[in-house]
Amino acid sequence: MSTERGRRRPLSSFVVRGLALGAGLAAVAAARTWFDIVEVQGNSMAPTLLPGEWLLVERRTYTGRAPQVGEIVLAADPREPTRELIKRVASVDVHAGTLELHGDDPLVSTDSRAFGSIPIADARWRVVARYWPAARAARL
Amino acid sequence: MLRNPLRPRRRVLAHCDIPCGVYDPEQARIEAESCYRILEKYAASTDELFRQRCVVVKEERAELTKHHIDVMWHDYFKPEHVEKFPDLHDTCWKASKAASKVKQTTDIEAARELLGLIDKIDEMWKATGGPEKTRLQAAAA
Repeated sequence: MSTERGRRRPLSSFVVRGLALGAGLAAVAAARTWFDIVEVQGNSMAPTLLPGEWLLVERRTYTGRAPQVGEIVLAADPREPTRELIKRVASVDVHAGTLELHGDDPLVSTDSRAFGSIPIADARWRVVARYWPAARAARL
Repeated sequence: MLRNPLRPRRRVLAHCDIPCGVYDPEQARIEAESCYRILEKYAASTDELFRQRCVVVKEERAELTKHHIDVMWHDYFKPEHVEKFPDLHDTCWKASKAASKVKQTTDIEAARELLGLIDKIDEMWKATGGPEKTRLQAAAA
């Protein structure tokens, strides 16, 4: 009925819109597999990272190379794998396939000094930047 | 209700078991000194009721001493401190045992030995920068 009353849109218009929408959704989905956003809990990365801060993280880098000393990474807690830790890479042993994680505040941090080294493969996400609070926004 | 799309759902842990980070063997030392003094008073008294009170309070204080030694041992000292002081574990272990002995007996020598071991822990705490790292510094005048 409506096609009789209104002006008929060319079929190609729908196809183009559909494709654009699909491509957009695919791009968002793809981006979400490369990037994610996380919230910091705990004090062990002070003063670099404080509880409640929001960070952008990505996981493409470590598909191509091992984490490097000084980078801040996300890794499963070896003592409780459902928890995800955020720590700085203190040393990497490529031959053994392990790395050590330290908090920036050694006094309060529970890290490799307590639980030892972890497999390199367990550090998948690299911290890229802090975007909130805006006043502390920075690349990391 | 709309939630802020910028707010992360995923939480990552900058984990710390002890958020306060304040450690000082003095806490153990004061409790152990109480035990020592109480045992002096216990030995000097003939009042049975007083002596019973001495035993009760001494056991409480000894238990607190043990707790504070354990906090130093488990929470303050880190593997690099053990590398620096190979007898660290042995000293803390002996100090805990000495605190147990003070709890069990009325032997003042046990309390003296406990104080000596706490002083050894204190030396290691000082040598690893404990006073500067774990205590709040007094505001500069």
